[in-house]
Amino acid sequence: MNPQSFLQLDRVIHEKGRLAIMSMLAATPELSFTEMRDALAMTDGNLTTHIRTLQEAGYVSVTKSFQHNRPLTTCSLTAAGKKAFTNYINLLEQIIQQTKGK
Amino acid sequence: MESNWAAEHLQVIRTLMERSALYRRALAPVMIFNGLLGVAGGIVGWALHINSAQAFIGYWAALGVAALIGSFLLVRRQALKESEPFWSPPTRRIAQALLPALFVGSIAGVLSLACPNWDFLQPWALPALWILLYGCALTAAGFFMHRGIKLLGWLFILTGCALIASRCQTDALLSLSGGHQVMGGVFGGLHLAYGIYLYFTEQRRNES
Repeated sequence: MNPQSFLQLDRVIHEKGRLAIMSMLAATPELSFTEMRDALAMTDGNLTTHIRTLQEAGYVSVTKSFQHNRPLTTCSLTAAGKKAFTNYINLLEQIIQQTKGK
Repeated sequence: MESNWAAEHLQVIRTLMERSALYRRALAPVMIFNGLLGVAGGIVGWALHINSAQAFIGYWAALGVAALIGSFLLVRRQALKESEPFWSPPTRRIAQALLPALFVGSIAGVLSLACPNWDFLQPWALPALWILLYGCALTAAGFFMHRGIKLLGWLFILTGCALIASRCQTDALLSLSGGHQVMGGVFGGLHLAYGIYLYFTEQRRNES
């Protein structure tokens, strides 16, 4: 395998928890914090930490609002996040192709 | 080995993407509510002898609206309880999938109600048409929900086909007098049975 492909994998996305968050957000325009927490079986603290890391990288945007007097936190992928996720998938496919080619 | 690792990674990503696009509200309360409404509607309609074409269509159209409003409120309550948006992307997809077949069924009902001379579709055939269209609506929505909904949709479709085929032998089932039993038994019975099944399986899924 060309080690260059592996080294190019985005380290922010590559972590298991953050990759799961990015994958879920890539399939839908937005998801609420509780939906992600339940679907991924993460604790509030764990999910908050991962979302903050993704937010700092500019991959995820977080919107806080109120719905019927209850706080509602929703997350969505930014344009940079979509691009980074697409690149990550492309690199994984490239790795598979390179290994198959041998 | 690296290829396996990357392929497994892609598989996990695919699964997560599919899961996030799925509708995941608990359906047991909605199904049980619609089941009870259908069964009660069938019994009341039969007991009150609502047998004229106009009254039959108006009565079941009103029950359909009540079922829709009740389902809407139940789903909305769940969303509020879980601090999640009600009109989420999966909910939008489900609504879009249900809409065409339900729209056709409503138009057929409205035309039968408003134009007594409309002979394109006889009123006694409406229950079978509604059952078939509802089955199609559920099958379409099933692409964005758990597999069971698609199977329930097929059950409605097969029951609708069986009702149409029954006219070869007897007109007892597809008639206005037998319509209440058919509507109550099929809409009420199938929803109720599936709701009870979901009540236990969804509970078990939540516990695990």
